[in-house]
Amino acid sequence: MADEVVTQAQIPAKGRGGVSDFRLIPRLETYPRIVAFAQSTLGKIVLLGLFTAGMRYFLPDLNVTLRFVFVFGFITFLPDLRWPVLTLCPLVFLVQNNLHHPLVLTASLLVVATGMFLYWCATRWPKSRFGRRPLVFLLTGYSLLIVLACGTRPHTRPYLVLWTLVGTAIAYLWFIAYAVTDRSSMPRNDAGRELATFRPLWGSTGVPFPKGAAYLRRIEAKTPEQLAVVQLKGVKLLAWAILLSLLQHFWFRLFHGFLHIPMPAAALAASVHGTPVPWHLRWASQILAFFELIFSMSILGHEIIACCRMAGFNALRNTYRPLSATTLIEFFNRFYYYYKELLVDFFYFPAFLRYFKKHRRLRTVFATFAAVVFGNAFYHITRDWQFFRDRGLWGGLASYQVEIVYCVMLAIGLSISQLRKRGARAKGFLRGHLLPVCGVGLFYVLISVFETDTRTFTVAQTVRYFASLFFIRL
Amino acid sequence: MSGIDEIRNFVQELLTRQDDRRPLADNDSLLMSGRLQSVDAVEIVLFLEERFGIDFAELGFDREQLDSIDTMAALVQNAGSRS
Repeated sequence: MADEVVTQAQIPAKGRGGVSDFRLIPRLETYPRIVAFAQSTLGKIVLLGLFTAGMRYFLPDLNVTLRFVFVFGFITFLPDLRWPVLTLCPLVFLVQNNLHHPLVLTASLLVVATGMFLYWCATRWPKSRFGRRPLVFLLTGYSLLIVLACGTRPHTRPYLVLWTLVGTAIAYLWFIAYAVTDRSSMPRNDAGRELATFRPLWGSTGVPFPKGAAYLRRIEAKTPEQLAVVQLKGVKLLAWAILLSLLQHFWFRLFHGFLHIPMPAAALAASVHGTPVPWHLRWASQILAFFELIFSMSILGHEIIACCRMAGFNALRNTYRPLSATTLIEFFNRFYYYYKELLVDFFYFPAFLRYFKKHRRLRTVFATFAAVVFGNAFYHITRDWQFFRDRGLWGGLASYQVEIVYCVMLAIGLSISQLRKRGARAKGFLRGHLLPVCGVGLFYVLISVFETDTRTFTVAQTVRYFASLFFIRL
Repeated sequence: MSGIDEIRNFVQELLTRQDDRRPLADNDSLLMSGRLQSVDAVEIVLFLEERFGIDFAELGFDREQLDSIDTMAALVQNAGSRS
């Protein structure tokens, strides 16, 4: 299967012509002479050189860049050793980076060992209660760890140990989740491959990029030609990330530096404190934040996926033309692909396949709420575990009140988007493209009022700010 | 019409809705390659449940099973031989 997946990348997609087919960076991987050159020793050196130059832009530390590039160079010239290198390097770097933090190092190694043990249990006893529902056990176990840590007295040894464990475990939680649910994939992965995907060499957020070992096996380049194609795509994506980063820099200087348009958190704070910024600046702030989120998500995702491709895996982009989405569900799919996949894999499908099977619409809505409200909330609440440490168990949960509104609004929007009959698109640029794209953008701009990381304000304060965008005083 | 033909027609319809008119072989990757999305996977699940009586909750679910026409046909065949 992987062979076909990679080969498809070489076939230029047949577009509809015109603007949609325009590419700032040409599809170099479709030119046979360039692909042949990329397979030669000189071609590989050139590709690695371009990759090094690109990574130098993102990694200010020269030593880190060289260490990184040395490993990718090794994989490029000795692809048969790809998996052993990918397994060992993250562990070596983990030890190296935490030599002066023995507690963090011990906690990290303990979490990795626990993850591997759970993977072994899930494959050894697939019919057991744990084997059938490993994710339920994993997420419950992590929640109990937070509850336990909340029960410790500050500045005691158990407090320090448990919160270190909580902070370390969340960094690995969703990687372990993919490992324990990979148990049913055929042929089964060996433990080394699973270990390689626990915070992989190419980096990631809390979300595994790109999913687990079973997925990586399917998208791995198997021949020198496939490797050349994938690496060309990797270098291109890195170049695209740099271009976007430069544009983002210019954007911030223009809108926030020169025009002094406030960030949404500042605009909201000003309203709460009784000194609201003018109406047009509130709107401008929200609209800019929408584009800025797309910028930062694209740059981060492109950088990680570019490195993943350099390692020889034909991973799909994390962000792919989100501004061309004409439906809410399409935007959700295009904006943060691997997070959406996490929600779909671990929350949507388990709910969809198990509940309300005789009621098609209810089933879709229930599964959407399971993913977008429960899954989304669980991911963010546990990711931001510091709120539990600083505010206690109930305070930590209460701090999420505004984002729950965001999750519910998003779930309603996505449910409607799925339930609407998907037929042929309306004809014409205005009705078929521009209006739907603007509608999608407006929806996400509006609900983003409730998407706040600071967790400083209450639902009532945020709703008042939201209403003020429409001249409504509450 | 045989099972694989029905599956092929259904997948072709999903692709056509997205203006994807590239050639489609039975072993072409659909989900892993990004030609179809999760929302399409949901439609495929519904189609396989309704048309062939497959119970994914019982069989176990792996999206790789829906990645090509061939894998879907194999899934239908295996489910048929079990029941």
